Amino acid sequence: MDIFLQQLINGLTIGSLYALVALGYTMVYGVMKLINFAHGDLVAFSAYVGLTIFTQFFGASAVSFVNVIIIFLLTAIIIAFVGVLLERLAYRPLRTAPRLSAVVSALGAALVIQNGIMLIWGPNMQIFPSDILPSTTWNISGVIMTFTQVCILVLSAVLMIALYFFINKTKIGTAIRATAIDQDAAKLMGINVNRIIMIIFVVGSMLGAIGGLFIGIYYRSLTFDMGWVYGLNAFIAAIIGGIGSIPGAMIGGLLLGLFNALIAGYISTQWAETLTFVLLIIILIVRPTGILGEKTAEKV
Amino acid sequence: MKLIKLASAFALSAAVATSVFAADTVKIGVQAPITGKYANEGQGIDNFVRLIVDEKNKEGGLLGKKIEVVTCDDEAKAQKAAVCAKKLANAGVFAVIGSYTSGATEAAQTTYYRNKILQTSDGTSDSLIKRKYWTFFRNSFPNSAQGEFTADYFVNQKKYKRIAILSDYSSYADGLANSVEDSVKKLGGNVAFRGKIKSGTQNFTAILTKIKALNPDVIYYSGYYTDGGLLRVQQQQLGIKADFVGGDSNDNPDFLKLAGDAAEGVYLVNVPTPDILPYEAAKKYLTAYEARFNMKPPSIWAVVNADGLRAVMEGVEKTNSFDTKKISEYIRNDMKDFPGITGPFNIREDGERVGASLMVYQIQEDGSYKVSFNK
Repeated sequence: MDIFLQQLINGLTIGSLYALVALGYTMVYGVMKLINFAHGDLVAFSAYVGLTIFTQFFGASAVSFVNVIIIFLLTAIIIAFVGVLLERLAYRPLRTAPRLSAVVSALGAALVIQNGIMLIWGPNMQIFPSDILPSTTWNISGVIMTFTQVCILVLSAVLMIALYFFINKTKIGTAIRATAIDQDAAKLMGINVNRIIMIIFVVGSMLGAIGGLFIGIYYRSLTFDMGWVYGLNAFIAAIIGGIGSIPGAMIGGLLLGLFNALIAGYISTQWAETLTFVLLIIILIVRPTGILGEKTAEKV
Repeated sequence: MKLIKLASAFALSAAVATSVFAADTVKIGVQAPITGKYANEGQGIDNFVRLIVDEKNKEGGLLGKKIEVVTCDDEAKAQKAAVCAKKLANAGVFAVIGSYTSGATEAAQTTYYRNKILQTSDGTSDSLIKRKYWTFFRNSFPNSAQGEFTADYFVNQKKYKRIAILSDYSSYADGLANSVEDSVKKLGGNVAFRGKIKSGTQNFTAILTKIKALNPDVIYYSGYYTDGGLLRVQQQQLGIKADFVGGDSNDNPDFLKLAGDAAEGVYLVNVPTPDILPYEAAKKYLTAYEARFNMKPPSIWAVVNADGLRAVMEGVEKTNSFDTKKISEYIRNDMKDFPGITGPFNIREDGERVGASLMVYQIQEDGSYKVSFNK
């Protein structure tokens, strides 16, 4: 039993990280009908930025709770700025262009960021220090949880709930949902669509940045091409949950992590990845719109 | 035939194009992962080769010719390695040092063989010498030797009852893990688990939790330090009380960095570390290396490759020619107890190195190594 619970925790931890990253994909798609393929590399970029802030400003001093929060906030702000810049340069000029052009632009932006990381920090593996967060562990009848894991689970849950309220209960949230339904109508109602899209990129990038920092702190090793793997998994999580649906992205991410851990734990570690994706394909065959995706009536 | 002509024409034109003094220089190639996952190992090999070559050039070169080093980055990838092999062949090198990984070494072997270029590598896969190329010799021990040594340590020294063995999917690590597994079974030991992880995936908690349920005495990992360090961290996080033993490729400063506090108590199986090599040549070259690059060599692998290069040079001087066939025959048949940095060694007819002692180290709290078993 404790082994089962341990696998559950393992799966939920990595699933939360996927979910945090998946939110960025799903929000941008919901409003712009665009898959932001550069999002994964932006997440990788955030881990590098966080590491640099840490080593430049706090490397020598003991890491206090306040410093960790400063690192997180600074990183999130920088990445939000980069996200907005990305939208300005790579997506806005193509907003009325055929959708394929925007996808190609997104792939191009992903390569630019990835190679940018390689040029700035070099192609070698970078290593996060192991003492950013306390190394406390709790042992609850054989199930082990580390402080970092608890942080990931709690903070991602809090962020997701906050996002849910932001989208559904605030004025800006209402404007975002209106823009997602029909941009032109939203414009006629006096909504500044450019501003809404900017907000989407700010929020999505910030969540991705927090995910990226946690990936760095939890796994310690950074490679310049790691964004692609996390991006791909998060993108799949968003699709499973129903692209465009915010609760869907959360559920998709958690499911992906859980499937992977449980298949690895109980069927085969070597086939875990393959079987996870087989399972996901089956889900999509049964529900092409994803778990929470709605069937939208095509406008005729 | 036509192809060979073309290739030699290429090689000629390349040689003519690169140097006006072609007659007074000879070229030695380095094929190593200068970038990518194992970059610090690759750079170590390249640095050491350049150190030795510069020293030789100061003495007047090889048979009066200046040596020029041509480095090609294979990123530890088989595809890139094949490209490197062609590049170096076209550059007109007569010998190649490298690569660091067995996979990249194997991918380049045939090209060097066809072009009659000598190749020496620290790759430990048993498969590296199965093709019986006269151009190739190994400057390290084969996996099977390490496998037997490790198994003996587990079963007879440590008396482990339940042994969990992990590798990645690379030919080197898989071969080493299989070798350990077979040897443990031969000695009557119990392999409770044998699994594989995908290198670079970072998250190994699922497989480790599975291992935890089996309650092993030891987790042995045969792959590289980039994953080994993370495995150790996650083993501790999951509260698995087993010893952690890493194969030779975990012996790298980055293992300590990745594992952090968790590195303490880890056992590593390897040939003697550079700084405890008791040989004359070792003191000289390691001091020179540190003076020039302001750091120690990343690991023993740079050092054994340097020995490979020194054996090649010895062959050139003793045969008084750059005829690679002659050099290869000299190294295999006539070279006796060459005074290597890593100890005296000979090369067998099949290109296997004879004369390498293995040890087990334990990582101490301050990150230093303590020899805990020496046979």
